[in-house]
Amino acid sequence: MSSEGEHLFRFPIIKLPNSRTVRSVMVYIAGALYAIGFWLVVDASVYSKTVNASVVHVTFVDWIPFICSTLGMMVINSIDKGQLFNSEGFGSGLQWQARLVLFVGFSLLAVGIAGGFLVLILKFLIKGFNSMPTLGMGLENVGANFCVMLSCILLWIIQNIEEDQTLSL
Amino acid sequence: MSRQSSLTKLIFLSVLIAVGFLNIVLSCALFNNWIPILVVIIFLIAPIPNALAQCISTSYDSNFLGDYDDDGSVESPFVEFCHFLTGCLVMSGTLLPLILFHCHLINGRSFALSLSGGFIIYLSIVLFSVGFKEDDSDGYDF
Repeated sequence: MSSEGEHLFRFPIIKLPNSRTVRSVMVYIAGALYAIGFWLVVDASVYSKTVNASVVHVTFVDWIPFICSTLGMMVINSIDKGQLFNSEGFGSGLQWQARLVLFVGFSLLAVGIAGGFLVLILKFLIKGFNSMPTLGMGLENVGANFCVMLSCILLWIIQNIEEDQTLSL
Repeated sequence: MSRQSSLTKLIFLSVLIAVGFLNIVLSCALFNNWIPILVVIIFLIAPIPNALAQCISTSYDSNFLGDYDDDGSVESPFVEFCHFLTGCLVMSGTLLPLILFHCHLINGRSFALSLSGGFIIYLSIVLFSVGFKEDDSDGYDF
């Protein structure tokens, strides 16, 4: 190990977080949010299998909104954002494609959240299962989709920060 | 600094990881219910993406202008995806005992033991990678 020099502690005491650190932390938080969403859905299905006292069970239908949200998130975050705000002109074909694919991604995300509410309403509320342990499975589904959406929003904000940084430099 | 300090660090970390494994195995064996052993697997693969990212980012020169290497340098998408995966895995390791507890698959003491054991194992791996890193550029990476 090389000697540190004049530092007493390993970590510097006062160090303003630079934009790179902030971005890393935000990416970590986004990953954590996505994990929360995923495990909420898993929790709903495991709960329905084990300690569920009612006749309502989680089937594949409950997974469809989450799958839609995940697909939308993957589509949105794999687009190169530089293509969107490109100056129009010769590269307009690529820009048009980027807009179309991004539209599909946002639609998938919206379908995920709407589907979560749809499952909650059609499967639980309409049929009169509005007591708490049973209703929890539907609420967890909605919460999972919200978590995925928040994670996606966070990643979007991060990429826009990057855009500003490169523009200002 | 010296071999002595390095040796002390190694012994401390090995004791820490042994305590972590002890906690998790205890949480399984005391109640004869081996589901919480999954927590070990998640916390063991949690540091892998970050290690990969570090490996990549040292060989990858992202600062093409060479001026701003401290702030504002744009990380590669792969490194960012690795960070995302790390956050995902650590949160999964935290949430898995919680879910098992919520679904009455394990009881409360087993939940506490497996959660603390998982965190101790992850902490020891992170401390290992921080303590034996060559350059202390930033201590913020998990």
